[in-house]
Amino acid sequence: MSKVVLTSTPQNFTDSDIRDAVSRAFDLLNYNFPEKVETVVIKANLCYYWDYSTGETTDPRVVAAIIDYIRAKFGDYVDISVAEADATAMKTRHCFKILGYDRLCQAKKVNLVNLSDGDIVEKETVVDNKSVTLPVNKILLESDLVINVPKMKAHNLVGMTCSLKNLFGAISKPRKFSYHPNLHATIVGINKLVKSDICIVDGLIVHGKHSKKLGVILAGDDALATDFVVAKIMGFNPRSVGHLKLAAKEKIGDVNNIDVIEDTISLEEATKLFPHSSFLMHKISWGLQLRLLDVYFKLSGDVSPPFLKS
Amino acid sequence: MLRLGLIGMGKMGQLHFLNALHVKDVKMVAVADKSKRNRSMAEKYHVTAYDDYEQLFKSEELDAAIISLPNFLREDSIVQAAEKGLDLFVDKPLARSLDEAKRIDEKVKKEGVRMMTGVNYRYFDCVQVLKGMLDDGMIGDVVFATADLVLNGPLGHGRVPTPVPEWWLSKEQAGGGALLDLGYHLIDILNWMFGDLHVEYSKLGYRFQLPVEDGAQVVLRSGKSGVNCCVNVGWFSKTIFPDFNFRVNLHGTVGYKSTDDLAPRNLRVHAIKAASGNMLRRITGKQLKYLSYTYYYHSFFHILELFCNAIQNDTELPISLKEEIDVMKIIDDVYRRSGAVLNV
Repeated sequence: MSKVVLTSTPQNFTDSDIRDAVSRAFDLLNYNFPEKVETVVIKANLCYYWDYSTGETTDPRVVAAIIDYIRAKFGDYVDISVAEADATAMKTRHCFKILGYDRLCQAKKVNLVNLSDGDIVEKETVVDNKSVTLPVNKILLESDLVINVPKMKAHNLVGMTCSLKNLFGAISKPRKFSYHPNLHATIVGINKLVKSDICIVDGLIVHGKHSKKLGVILAGDDALATDFVVAKIMGFNPRSVGHLKLAAKEKIGDVNNIDVIEDTISLEEATKLFPHSSFLMHKISWGLQLRLLDVYFKLSGDVSPPFLKS
Repeated sequence: MLRLGLIGMGKMGQLHFLNALHVKDVKMVAVADKSKRNRSMAEKYHVTAYDDYEQLFKSEELDAAIISLPNFLREDSIVQAAEKGLDLFVDKPLARSLDEAKRIDEKVKKEGVRMMTGVNYRYFDCVQVLKGMLDDGMIGDVVFATADLVLNGPLGHGRVPTPVPEWWLSKEQAGGGALLDLGYHLIDILNWMFGDLHVEYSKLGYRFQLPVEDGAQVVLRSGKSGVNCCVNVGWFSKTIFPDFNFRVNLHGTVGYKSTDDLAPRNLRVHAIKAASGNMLRRITGKQLKYLSYTYYYHSFFHILELFCNAIQNDTELPISLKEEIDVMKIIDDVYRRSGAVLNV
């Protein structure tokens, strides 16, 4: 059975409210930690230079609270790394600074790791009977604990993004754009290669139809099960989300027996509060607008500015 | 026929390139860019592309050039083009620093060529209408004005994420941040409206710990009309096209006017109307109002057209270099007050 904890902060949350919520989420999850934990990797979601207040990237205060919890549980000697890989349009050397992660890691005396640098190995797995080979940083494979700290947000390619999609960002290759034609299989592939031991979902500020202070923290011991619960909060049928459906088919988690532990907020309340966006309408409206523009350019001979192109 | 060359085929250069193809009596002769990918657009339109602008200047007969290079490459290219006797249309800012701007000004004067900076914000329809209202006395005596422009800056992207060019995040190469990038436009508009501006107060913001400022507030006073102006700019806001966080507000003795009230409220509805208008123009054989469906981007076409017309007709350029030096003086003053001036 997989377990997912749902808790919340007061609406205008402070740093200590966040710390309390994260700590409560860990306690309620009651994760069966390995006896010896010496190395921990925290994979935040820093997909672009958007500030945490937009709901697009992991709030550094959530990561700070996780570091505090791990230190309190295992002592100061634990070697903790906060990690993210370069992306097609994002460089971690700028992103860590812009989003406040360099300050956080200095203050907490933890490592800040670019997963696109260092020891990288090509790992192979099979998804949907097809071979998938991905470059993975060894730190993700060799650490005692991988803590996945995704955002809960709408995504224009896959509908929703959370724990499974966050690990897509951990693939070492910066030009991840090249995986987009096989996005679902790649997401499932990286999650087969790298196991998220614990997921702590940052739902403090979420991004759906618009950004909103939701004040929700989830903790899960199964990335797929966690994403199933998040999908419900976001108003999706989890089995209609491409990568979740494929992940369930590949049995990378247990979604038939999810124990949802509702703490200070119920699943129903969280679902009601989330600013739902219609993925289908989004796709249709953008697709339609771009197609109309194409037709307009062809018929009129007007100028198409470069920023509207890929 | 005005023979035009274009240096720098980045995003802005590509836009100028496409616009220039549609300006009446202009022939886009050749472009230059180091990047093969960028040059490919010119080749698509059967325009000769060089990987070195010196080669372009040597090989082609030109009347004028558009310079759309990153800030740190601008001075050299202007110097070389001016020495070839070419009139110049240059992206803003004029330079990375006031000293550099003055050197450019001297060179242009020495070579006897004409140069204009592409301060297209002046040519937004809403700004032109506001200036008309001001000149007609519809606002009365303006006591104070505010101007805001808060966008992504270089930290944003178009429809598909693309990397931020490294030079944007270097003080040495960019010369400055949000103030030089966005504030330049607002100061230019306010200086055009009220004249003789000087700095009363300024504050630079560094929310994102970049080597350049990502925000700025500047209070200016017009020595000519006594108007107090407040400029607010920032790179910190996630803005997705067609959203555009720009406005100029004038508070006068007769009333208040804002560009917000003069620009289309719904830019999507505007796009449909403008596109329909252009289709009608196409059918009736009239010239299109290029890029008008984007509302704000039409100004890029319009300002380039004004430049080309002035060169062809040998009339005064609509924007003088003196005005742009004045803008650079204000920005330089703000950077000096904050210890952020670049000595180049």
